[in-house]
Amino acid sequence: MPGKRMTFVEALVEGIREEMRRDPNVFVLGQDIGPFGGSLRSTLGLWEEFGPARIFDTPISESAAAGVCLGAALEGLRPILDISFGEFLASAMPQIVLHAPVVHWLTLGKARVPLTIRTKVGEGPYGGHPQCFEAWFTHVPGLKVVMPSTPADAKGLMKAAIRDDDPVLFFEHMYLYHGVRDVVPDGEHLVPIGRAEVKRPGKDVTVAATAWMVHRALQAAHQFAAEGIEVEVLDLRTLAPLDTATLLASVRKTGRLVVAHEAWKIGGLGAEVAATVAEQAFGSLRAPIVRVGAPHTPVPAHPTIRRAFLPDAQGIADAVHAVMKYAA
Amino acid sequence: MIEDVKQVLAMHRLMVQSRVLDEACCEESAHWFPSQGEEAVPVGTFYGLRPDDVCAPAYRGAPIVYLMRGMTLEQVWAGALGKRTSFGRGRHFSFTAPIELRVFPYIAGDLGPIISQATGAAFAQRYRKSDAVTAVSFGDGTSNRGDFHEAVNLGAAWRLPIVYVIQNNHWAISMPIEKATAAKRLADRAAGYGIPGVAVDGNDVLAVHTAVQEAVRRARAGHGPTLIEAETFRMRGHIAADTASYRAPEEVEEWRGRDPIQRLEARLADAGVLSAEDAQAVWAEAAQEVGEAKAAAQRHPDILPTDLGLDEMFATPLREA
Repeated sequence: MPGKRMTFVEALVEGIREEMRRDPNVFVLGQDIGPFGGSLRSTLGLWEEFGPARIFDTPISESAAAGVCLGAALEGLRPILDISFGEFLASAMPQIVLHAPVVHWLTLGKARVPLTIRTKVGEGPYGGHPQCFEAWFTHVPGLKVVMPSTPADAKGLMKAAIRDDDPVLFFEHMYLYHGVRDVVPDGEHLVPIGRAEVKRPGKDVTVAATAWMVHRALQAAHQFAAEGIEVEVLDLRTLAPLDTATLLASVRKTGRLVVAHEAWKIGGLGAEVAATVAEQAFGSLRAPIVRVGAPHTPVPAHPTIRRAFLPDAQGIADAVHAVMKYAA
Repeated sequence: MIEDVKQVLAMHRLMVQSRVLDEACCEESAHWFPSQGEEAVPVGTFYGLRPDDVCAPAYRGAPIVYLMRGMTLEQVWAGALGKRTSFGRGRHFSFTAPIELRVFPYIAGDLGPIISQATGAAFAQRYRKSDAVTAVSFGDGTSNRGDFHEAVNLGAAWRLPIVYVIQNNHWAISMPIEKATAAKRLADRAAGYGIPGVAVDGNDVLAVHTAVQEAVRRARAGHGPTLIEAETFRMRGHIAADTASYRAPEEVEEWRGRDPIQRLEARLADAGVLSAEDAQAVWAEAAQEVGEAKAAAQRHPDILPTDLGLDEMFATPLREA
């Protein structure tokens, strides 16, 4: 498939642009997404092409914005809600966790909520709003939660999310935004929601990771290759519902599992991944499962302690060494 | 004084039906939310809206609005009795609404989010360049939520076709409105959003209806929202089992004298539109209809454990790998 090299955020915007051209019911609503172009250029160019009939700048009212999008979705529109940063999700929790995900099931399928909620999380070039709260949402039945790591997946998952008839929470990692550039297929490139992907095959240990940690895992895998250890890097991509089939297949092959995410380790997605493997593939494990995640403090502001806080490639390498100590 | 006799008689009939149904449901379920004494607000607000308008009634008294939209009494009873034929088949509240009739249900148990969801319905009406409107009602207690402020502010800023109605029944479970806010009139809050605020006698169905219809005309014409405060009173506890011992009996007795149905009947009798006998016939007919519908619903099948529906979470199923 022909493609173009673009950044992660350019790929996200291309996915939105294509879906808006395809379906007049798709619109974007959020703060500073119009002439400003979105925080970190999250909507750059959309205002120029679609204007005020399809791009709606809101007051600082995340809860009302989410409710308006839910109401519009119940009336058959396909809203994309741009929540500038993940920590603002907290202001809209009732709509996102109590209302949007449950109404389809409660109404025996009569109500549909084709709502995409996109937001930025994680460490970024400016260091602001770094909290990774994905685990709050993977706990909630009825929400689909995605978190891509590459520009191609960013576009493909965004298009799939917009076409999906269920609420999809789309986490965009800020370090990837302008920092990762890669080939993105033109046109009809859809990445199915609910599928993990092996980004690098290996036979000795599986590192299941999300977003920026996928890149750090690939970096660690590259170094381990020199030591003769073959690391399989699994990008979870969809956090809910988890692609347990791909996860279990990988662990059954390698017999060892490290889970890595930037979010806090305690109660994080890694706990669910580890529990799933322990329940369903215990017999294949050759070593205890090791989780890599942030320590249990708030995210610190100063770069020095921020670096000390963030899980890094070294943390993944240490975890791989730990599980490799258990021989076959 | 009474311009459209047919309409007023229809509203009288709905209020009586609401009262009779509500009393019967309270007898059936200790957790039913009684609406006795507040009938003029839902009936006056939602009567006369078009089928393509969206209705989002406050939970207290909502069943009469569902009936106005085309739900049957038997379907209301199926919900109240927890039958398999209820909307949601036991998954949702007993008083839930059929969303296909353009009634927004209470999705979860918290108060307030429906105000912005209804604002979203009005947004969709504008987006589609339709002249349909949305009406949403909610309690005085809910009007203290941030949801109220954010939604009304946004609806006003965007001049959306919506009418916000505060069903001020004075009590949020055990919290009286005068202790919950320093505002003398909740309708005054409209000034803060730059929209008209109208306070009406919420026990006068014609006053409610007239105010709402004026607001609907404004909304349809593209002039944006109106905030209406309809002052009424919660004659019983928060739920049927609540004896409301936290408030003075004198207050309740004072409001008993302002009963919205009795007031309307007196007025209709004065105007020579509805005799005492005619009124009695309406009550008898409502009692019979409600009783028959209950008896019919009692014969409906019960909910089964297999109705849990573990595999019915998503509208778009996940593709098999």
